[in-house]
Amino acid sequence: MRLRVLLFAELRERAGWQERWLEITGTTTPLQLWSTIASELGAESLLPERIRIAVNQQFANPTVGLTDGDEVAFLPPISGG
Amino acid sequence: MQLKIDLHSTAFEPLACLEQWQRQLIAVGHSGGAAESLFIGRVRGTAADGAALEALELEHYPGMTERQLQQLADTCCARHGVRSCLVQHRTGRVLPGEAIVLVAIGADRRGQAQRCCQELLEALKHDAPFWKREWRSDGSREWLSGNTPL
Repeated sequence: MRLRVLLFAELRERAGWQERWLEITGTTTPLQLWSTIASELGAESLLPERIRIAVNQQFANPTVGLTDGDEVAFLPPISGG
Repeated sequence: MQLKIDLHSTAFEPLACLEQWQRQLIAVGHSGGAAESLFIGRVRGTAADGAALEALELEHYPGMTERQLQQLADTCCARHGVRSCLVQHRTGRVLPGEAIVLVAIGADRRGQAQRCCQELLEALKHDAPFWKREWRSDGSREWLSGNTPL
């Protein structure tokens, strides 16, 4: 399946990219996706608690199963308003 | 319930937005409320570490930010039974003194209006995907890892 992965703010700058399409064989979760990109971010493969997940622009659990075409975003700590 | 949410990529004047919103409510025959509560947030002239601040950069997640603001406002306004809600939020490079956010609530009672205004402001600070980066006058810059204390 193909997944659209998005990074924002400090994560985007650390990785050097904002958007990437990943081809995945079999099943996966945001937690597993993080472990595949963590080295590019200079981060540990275990998802830090402070990073939140959005799937298709809704907050989601890191262990939710992903399906073909999903948009997965890794969100550093939010500071709006 | 009347609701309006806008993101501004350039400077906006909160009082002008408020005046326009009130004219719009009158134009659609909305009776408004007897109680109104509003909050205007502006950029400080100093960074979190006390250094002089040149600007604050606001990044957002296009699509999700608008959706989250809508959901947060719908939920909060329904919980407090208010009559109108206006949310205006900046994105991009914001200078000290410029407005970042305006929340204006109209309700039948002051308690409803004040509680809803405060609750919605806190909700959007923590659950709408915006990120702030400080650009200091000495040329350094840093992403903020959270919000200022209440």
